[in-house]
Amino acid sequence: MRHARIIFNGREFDVDIDANDRITTADGQELDVALDSDDITWLPPVKEPGTIFALGLNYADHATELAFEPPKEPLVFIKHANTLTGHKQVSYRPDNIEFQHYECELVAVIGKAGKNIKREDAMDYVAGYTVCNDFAIRDYLENYYRPNLRVKSRDSLLPMGPWIVDRDDVADVNNLRLTTEVNGKITQDGSTRDMIFDIPFLVEYLSKIMTLSPGDMIATGTPHGVVDMQPGDTVVCTIENICSLETRIVSEKEYYGDKY
Amino acid sequence: MTANTLVNSKLVCVALNDKSQLAALEGTFSEAPYKKPPTQPVLYYKPRNTWNVDGAEVEWAKDFDGNDVPAMAVGASLGVVIGRETCRVSPADALDHVRGYTIVCDFSLPEESYFRPDIKGKCLDSSAPVGPDIVPAETIDNPDALTVSVFVNGEEKSVFPLANMQRSVAELISTISWIMTLQPGEVIAVGFAGNRVPVARGDKVEATIEGVGTLTNTLGGA
Repeated sequence: MRHARIIFNGREFDVDIDANDRITTADGQELDVALDSDDITWLPPVKEPGTIFALGLNYADHATELAFEPPKEPLVFIKHANTLTGHKQVSYRPDNIEFQHYECELVAVIGKAGKNIKREDAMDYVAGYTVCNDFAIRDYLENYYRPNLRVKSRDSLLPMGPWIVDRDDVADVNNLRLTTEVNGKITQDGSTRDMIFDIPFLVEYLSKIMTLSPGDMIATGTPHGVVDMQPGDTVVCTIENICSLETRIVSEKEYYGDKY
Repeated sequence: MTANTLVNSKLVCVALNDKSQLAALEGTFSEAPYKKPPTQPVLYYKPRNTWNVDGAEVEWAKDFDGNDVPAMAVGASLGVVIGRETCRVSPADALDHVRGYTIVCDFSLPEESYFRPDIKGKCLDSSAPVGPDIVPAETIDNPDALTVSVFVNGEEKSVFPLANMQRSVAELISTISWIMTLQPGEVIAVGFAGNRVPVARGDKVEATIEGVGTLTNTLGGA
């Protein structure tokens, strides 16, 4: 089963989506609308977002695999709900920058609280999976708590969704094709099998430091193959058997409107 | 996270905002991996699992083998509590968005490097007490004129006049609001004395700001 949050006919719903793409609300009402309809507004799929953990440098890319010395410890940074937006929504490109890129990532959504979770038990704490696009503004990188908040904590720059797939509905999460298309052209093509620190490792690692809680999310990093984005571009991040996440880039002025 | 935390949705902390600390680290920050001193405020989050309250115990951290860590440290800061949506505000307008002030303690492993996000050092459960209460903004004429003191077991260990901050409260609110839209109840810890105070198991830590109050916590593990 898949789970999402949508606005339809002016109302917000928590919905389940079955294998036949039938959409049912929490109180059992079946919605008469197709999944790809523009009448659906997609919200970020986690209803009460907690701490968002994101990984840097977590893919050993094929081209440099032989020369690559993998990091001994994961590079983790934190994001909050101000960065979230949904499928088919907009993200903005800040004014006067040179390089903004997407990062297509598999997200593990935590479903159960725990601390000091062992690797072999880790998947019991994962409710399901979704896809995010963890945009970065490279111009703003500084070597202090890098990647710093100015790069990674901006409004709207973490689209997520459209839905969460139940953990048990994904046969092998460590072998999923991951692709990104910009304006219809594939620019990133990798596999979750190249992840350096896998989900059980990350659950164990983080839960040795702190308590994980339902609604926390782990965005597991992106393979190589990132390109610059401009207002007007449409980027689609896809992970096989999970979902495809579409985002349109707008200017800072268009995004903030009256607050610009 | 305790149920009665004063924090809503996020706690943003400002590191390296003590002028004397920045001056002392100038040489270090000119070398790898930093290469040059920071040009922007250095920010980090204390996530929800860290939020704690006045009077509560702060857990003594464990290392990855499950043993007590050898050392912890504490810094205290003025906490600025946002009162209304704060998006892209100027320094001149920033203080109009403040609902009130409180105190934030940041218990952590000793700060050794500022190069990578310090998840292991900073994200420890119960390590960010906030309190004791929120005093209304109008009771504080000039937040940059306040002084933050830290006492351990009754002995004064640190005195930090906020006049020694590299960036003022209004400037920080403005800069942060151009990165992220701040919401009511979100808290910014604006600056800590560069010299964090070492603490031991069982220590009683009091952080005081005149006119704001005293935040008291005890280290666990004794």
